Amino acid sequence: MKILVCIKQVGSEGEVNRFDAHALEEALDLKDRFETQLSESVTVDVVTVGPVEAARIIKRAFGMGADTGYHIVAEDPEYVSPFVTATRLASAAKKRPYDLILTGIMSTDMMTGQTGPMLAKIMGLPCATAVIKTNLPTNDNLIEVERELENGFRDCLKIRMPAVLTIQAGINTPRYPRLSKMLAAGQKEIKTFKETDIFPEPIEEREIYIGLALPEKTRSGRVLEGSLPDKAEQLLALLKEKDLI
Amino acid sequence: MKQILVIAEIFAGQIRPITWELVTAARKIKNSPGLKQLSPTIQIIVPADNPALLSEKIAKQTGIDVIGLQIPELKNYTSEIYIYCLEQLIKKIDPSHVLAAHTSQGQDFAPGLALGLNAVAISGVNGIRSDENGLIYSRPVFNNTRNQMLRPASNRPVTLTLMPGTFKPDERKDGEPGRVDIRKIPFAPAVCGKEHIQHCRTVKKIFEDQTLEEAKVIIAAGRGIKEKEELKSILKFAQCFPTAAVGASRPLVDMNWLGYQHQIGITGATVAPKLYIACGISGSSQHLAGIKDAEFVVSINKNPQAPIFRHSDVCIIADIIEFIGTFLKKQEI
Ligand SMILES: Cc1cc2nc3c(=O)[nH]c(=O)nc-3n(C[C@H](O)[C@H](O)[C@H](O)COP(=O)(O)OP(=O)(O)OC[C@H]3O[C@@H](n4cnc5c(N)ncnc54)[C@H](O)[C@@H]3O)c2cc1C
Ligand SMILES: Nc1ncnc2c1ncn2[C@@H]1O[C@H](COP(=O)(O)O)[C@@H](O)[C@H]1O
Repeated sequence: MKILVCIKQVGSEGEVNRFDAHALEEALDLKDRFETQLSESVTVDVVTVGPVEAARIIKRAFGMGADTGYHIVAEDPEYVSPFVTATRLASAAKKRPYDLILTGIMSTDMMTGQTGPMLAKIMGLPCATAVIKTNLPTNDNLIEVERELENGFRDCLKIRMPAVLTIQAGINTPRYPRLSKMLAAGQKEIKTFKETDIFPEPIEEREIYIGLALPEKTRSGRVLEGSLPDKAEQLLALLKEKDLI
Repeated sequence: MKQILVIAEIFAGQIRPITWELVTAARKIKNSPGLKQLSPTIQIIVPADNPALLSEKIAKQTGIDVIGLQIPELKNYTSEIYIYCLEQLIKKIDPSHVLAAHTSQGQDFAPGLALGLNAVAISGVNGIRSDENGLIYSRPVFNNTRNQMLRPASNRPVTLTLMPGTFKPDERKDGEPGRVDIRKIPFAPAVCGKEHIQHCRTVKKIFEDQTLEEAKVIIAAGRGIKEKEELKSILKFAQCFPTAAVGASRPLVDMNWLGYQHQIGITGATVAPKLYIACGISGSSQHLAGIKDAEFVVSINKNPQAPIFRHSDVCIIADIIEFIGTFLKKQEI
């Protein structure tokens, strides 16, 4: 079985998107379960679209146990349409016959949650979002998963592979990269592609980015001033006045 | 004449209230300066195996015309059935806008449907306004610290998923109900006559106790709590109050530091205490959705820019552990 995990670099410190760490862990965990129970080998590849520095998160993924890393190098402006990202990811996902493609449920910076389902549509694959549990695939290429709904509800689905799953936090605890694997990863090659080589014509952005704004306030937001004891004192007085303490 | 389509949210044979919020948003789009002269019409699509009754209810409640999309195979929601059947129906209508809910269901089918319709797709919309160039949509980014503003780049159809709680449902005055038109589109799986996604069952996690829902005071912990050990501080803080329950943001529950019955937010409990104290919680939309009805919100966070401060009555910029320590000393005096 071949699994591809889409990972994105986010934040000022260039860390792996939190939900993608869960997606990668789930792939590695499926591999562990598969290989012990069915003694069939599983490969876990990762792909990222991002600037040159994003190679760091692929190395980290090697440290966790990923086999091959694809890096589509793209220096993007502030906004990239999820459609564009999905189109780029599809170019890597078509390289090998993957049985499963995992993404995070959303990125913590752009928060669209659209990249995974769009990738599925581009590739003509079924997709389940907010996956919170996976079972081992059966011989007839069906994988049973649970997707999370609101208010404690879950849907149990059987999905025909190849398929795309977007992974929700809470499904697992991501392992730490192992030093030995990190060292061995030094020898592993990251397959790097220039976005302009794959897509000589730029992919049409479907949205125009206007800018950022502060979210609207919904409450008054009185800030308590002074030293730490002052603040504690003010809160205590306030709560007493309201007869809450 | 262009149409604005609303996809009603149906779960387990019931109309989800977010449907009424989608209708409000559709009216806002219809009455926006750029679209008004074109006098677009709104239609609500109700997908179900047997949509007649649901459609009539919605037509009566809103006064808007309804298309009951009858899909005989739709016993339970799957993205595959929704995308296949909605795509066929909507392509023929060629609408200007398609509105769905930013819920577990809408987020599951809307992106695929958008690509099928060759549409612009904007998710998690929490605001709609317009300027001389047309409509502008805002949506949260960067862990909810900012809103990003977008507009469509072309005149393709626009699909939006709307954040629950953004638009107030309109009051319905008695009036003519909308017309109901039932259209049947069977689901025919593309490959070898077999579906790719099979719904097996829906299960519900049982809340072990209801203390959060009933609590007058809730002290809630977030990822500002760095180790499980530090939760003891939160417990001590809670003990300052005659009766207080301990709540948590989702990551703490995901890490198994606290049980699921403590989780507050869109995938946890919805609470309405007299006092809610958020300790080291950033204020994501998913968390805030659970505390809208809290009477008084205090938040303690070391980052002055934390989004939770925009949704609090009292803001305390401090390290949570240090603050609780100081508060406990003050209280002893
Ligand atoms: C589909 C979906 C459903 C979800 N459902 C829910 C839900 O029901 N409930 C929920 O809560 N989340 C939910 N989430 C997760 C949500 O998106 C956020 O990831 C989560 O709410 C963040 O939790 P947090 O505020 O504790 O952590 P963070 O966002 O990491 O914030 C931690 C905060 O602590 C502050 N801090 C750090 N150190 C200190 C310190 N020493 N003293 C004081 N402050 C400090 C930081 O400044 C920061 O603001 C859901 C996500 C998805 C995608
Ligand atoms: N630049 C990228 N490179 C690799 N994967 C990505 C990228 N952007 C988004 N993804 C994947 O798509 C998921 C959803 O992201 P988003 O649609 O931005 O919320 C992420 O959790 C990643 O798995």
